[in-house]
Amino acid sequence: MTERVITLQSFFEEARAGRLTAVRCASCGTLAVPPKEFCPACQRRAWETVPLTGSGKVTSFTVIRIPPRGRAPEAPYAVAVVRLDEGLSMLGRVVDVPLDTLKTGLPVKFRPVVSEGNTVIGFGPA
Amino acid sequence: MRRVAVIGVGMTKFGKHDRSSAELFAEAAADAIVDADIPPSRIESLYFGNVTGGETERQLHMAPLAATALGLPTIPTTRLETACATSHAAFRHAVMEIASGVSDIVLVGGAERVLNVPTDAATEYFAYCSDATYEQSLGLTFPGVFALIARAHMDRFGTTEEQMAHVAVKNHRHGLLNAKAQFRKEITLETVLKSPYVADPLKLFDCCPFTDGGAAVVLASADVARTRNNAVWVLATEAAADTMFIHEKPDLSRITATERAAARAYQRAGKTPADVDVVELHDCFTIAEIVATEGLGFFEPGGGAVAAEKGVTSLGGKIPVNPSGGLKSKGHPIGATGAAQITEIVTQLRGAAGARQVEGARTGLVHTLGGNAATVLVSLFGRD
Repeated sequence: MTERVITLQSFFEEARAGRLTAVRCASCGTLAVPPKEFCPACQRRAWETVPLTGSGKVTSFTVIRIPPRGRAPEAPYAVAVVRLDEGLSMLGRVVDVPLDTLKTGLPVKFRPVVSEGNTVIGFGPA
Repeated sequence: MRRVAVIGVGMTKFGKHDRSSAELFAEAAADAIVDADIPPSRIESLYFGNVTGGETERQLHMAPLAATALGLPTIPTTRLETACATSHAAFRHAVMEIASGVSDIVLVGGAERVLNVPTDAATEYFAYCSDATYEQSLGLTFPGVFALIARAHMDRFGTTEEQMAHVAVKNHRHGLLNAKAQFRKEITLETVLKSPYVADPLKLFDCCPFTDGGAAVVLASADVARTRNNAVWVLATEAAADTMFIHEKPDLSRITATERAAARAYQRAGKTPADVDVVELHDCFTIAEIVATEGLGFFEPGGGAVAAEKGVTSLGGKIPVNPSGGLKSKGHPIGATGAAQITEIVTQLRGAAGARQVEGARTGLVHTLGGNAATVLVSLFGRD
């Protein structure tokens, strides 16, 4: 039995405070977000919490122009896959970057996007 | 394991219907049972697929409802949900029930009804097939998911929006030949390229539509199938999976679950991509067809876009893909799609596809993808 080092709730509470966290396999060093029970690389069950710098580069992105219900006032908005300096990737809302300047390879930095009490992962200019 | 064959197929017209999913499935299933030329009482069980019934119809427990609508209320039923791969997953379980010797004749299929809700609500419900916390919360839609894949493919291989548009033009041209298709209208490259962006770089005409419809197939053991003229053998049916999370896929230009499911299916059937005469694959977006043709081994990574442009995947080309019109033109009632793809391949292998017949087709492949490429099924079919 291992103690859970991050839950969904604690991940987003930390993110809201500006801290991006991952888990690292104490056995093989694999980084993961979100956490899982077994390490996909070595099958061990020995995770520890590690802080991430939040710095990375855009590897793919899209501009959502036809949004799901309730998000029309936000559209158009960009969602990007960002490869962090530590080597793992995260998906996030792009903020404070003009949509027509968005491109793959663009350096970005994590920032929480909080609205109506909900926190999501965001990335803004580096 | 015992050999399994498809002995009957049926599908509704795809498009807008003012009928419930259970009714749509029942019509398709009745047609499949009549096609199989067996008394309905021979059906031993039902594997049924539906995705959004809880949201669009306030209806759960839909499998016994579907059996009841069919007039077979006492057969045991199972509902499966694997996003857009739902009824292909149901098919695999039905095959296993017969292969294991539990049953001799099993009904499988699915239905979906979404055109009774507004587009923004349907977009929201489909997005439920991605992760709620990390993906839906960002406002990511399914066109958005495949836009991320398209961008990665464009960056890696130089794929262009015009090459993707060729897939839409081709599938609409095929759909013109299918009386059951939702759209029976030829479009031009210009139609696609001038349509508005939905999720850059994907435009409206890169996307399949929302669709109502049902589809069903009747499966039988070899002992039953050998008494039929129209039986088509299931040579292999394989499933593969990948992480639910877009951000955990190391290379978005590939869908590795497709590659793994295909490799296992070819191995089990003793076939190679070169043996396949006709393909129905999961073109929910134009880029999805390109990536699938690569993952299924018809082209090298990056070669799918060039092949689409050159007509290699058109009817009359070297490897015809989506002669039915595909999800793009035939339509995509997500719970019914796998069964509808199987219906097309069985019809092709029977030589009964009319104007869209691939001449002499003896081996066919069906590929269905669910959600964020987290679920993939690949099945191979053949005639004796």
